[in-house]
Amino acid sequence: MSGPLDVREGTPLTIVTGASGAIGRAITAERIRAGHAVLLVDVAPQVIDHAAALRASGAAVAACVTDLTDPGAAAVILAAAEALGSPTVLVNNAGITRDGRLLKLSADDFAAVIGVNLLAPMRLAEAIAPRLPDGGSVINISSRAALGNFGQANYVAAKSALVGATRAYALRWAPRVRVNAVAPGLVNTAMTQAMPPEVLDKLVGRIPAARAADPAEIAETVGFLASSRASYTTGQVLFACGGRSLAA
Amino acid sequence: MTAYLPHPVTSHDELQAELTRAFEHLQGALAAGSPVVVLLEERNVQATEEPLAAALAHGLIGLVRAAAIEGRQAGWHVAALSYLPHTDDAELQRWVGSLAASASTSGSLVRLGGEHLGRVAV
Repeated sequence: MSGPLDVREGTPLTIVTGASGAIGRAITAERIRAGHAVLLVDVAPQVIDHAAALRASGAAVAACVTDLTDPGAAAVILAAAEALGSPTVLVNNAGITRDGRLLKLSADDFAAVIGVNLLAPMRLAEAIAPRLPDGGSVINISSRAALGNFGQANYVAAKSALVGATRAYALRWAPRVRVNAVAPGLVNTAMTQAMPPEVLDKLVGRIPAARAADPAEIAETVGFLASSRASYTTGQVLFACGGRSLAA
Repeated sequence: MTAYLPHPVTSHDELQAELTRAFEHLQGALAAGSPVVVLLEERNVQATEEPLAAALAHGLIGLVRAAAIEGRQAGWHVAALSYLPHTDDAELQRWVGSLAASASTSGSLVRLGGEHLGRVAV
C-alpha cells in the first residue's frame, strides 16, 4: 500500500486477524466506526486491496499479509502496527475448518486446525498483551461449536481450548488487560450461502432466532467487549448464536 | 487402557502435539469399541494456572464432547473426569469405571472435589 498514513496522535489501534473474511470485514468496519485505527491481518493478499479501499474512504488502516502459523508472525504484525501507533485492542478472528467424521479425520487435518485456531491466537495474544495499555483488551473469536458439533472434532477442540486459554489469560493479565471470547453460531458468509438450501434450512431450524447472524451482529458483540461499556467484564464467553447454545 | 492422562505441555508446539496425540488415541479406542475417560486436573479446568495447561484441558473437553455427539448412535462411551491433588485414587478409579460403563454420561465432564462450585460452568 502506498502513501503516508495520517493517524492522529492518540488514536487507539485495533489489530484484527482474518480481516479478509466476512466477520473480519465487519469487525474492521465496527472498529473504524468506533474511532480506531485498524491493522488488517490476513494470509490472503486481497487484504491489501481491502485496506486500500478503506483508506481511500478516509479510514486509518494498514494491511499485513502473514501466515499466522509461522511462529514469527507476531513480530511481523507488531512491525506493521508501528505505522499506526500502539495497539489497544487485539481481535483474534482468523480461523479455518477441515471438517470430517472423527474416525476418518486425519491427524494432519486435526493439527492444522489446532495450529490456526488455537496456537496462532495464543502466540499473538502473548506477544501483544505486554504492549497493551491499561484498559487494553483481547477478544478471541471462539464458536458456539466449542460446546460440541458433529463432524468437527478438530474445530470443537480448538475453539474449546481457546476458551480455556481466554480464561487463563484473563486471570494472568488482570487488572491491566481484559480478555474475553465471542462464540458465534451460524453466520451469513459466502460459505453458508453456498450450502444446499435444505442443509441451511436444517441448521437455521435449530436456532431460536430462526436465522443466521449477520456478520455485523458478531462485530457489534466484539465492539461491546472491546469498549469501556464492558470495562468490568473479563474471562467471559459471550455466545452470539441466536440462542442456538440453548436449543435442542 | 480406558483412562487417558494427558502429558503436561510447556510450549505451543507441545500443546498441538498433545491434543493431536489425544485425538489419535480417541480415534483408535473408539474405533475398537473401547471406552475412553480423559483425566484432567481440576485447576486446569478452572484455568487458574498456566494458559497452555488450561487450553489443553478445555481442548480435551471439547474433543470428548465432539466424540460423544458423533458416537451417539454407535454407543461410544467417552467422558472427562477432573480431580484434585488430594482426590483418593480408589475414588478416582471408581469414577473411571462408572463413566466407562455408562452410555448416558457420554460427553459429560464430572468434576470431583467441589472446588468448581461458585465458579463459571464449563
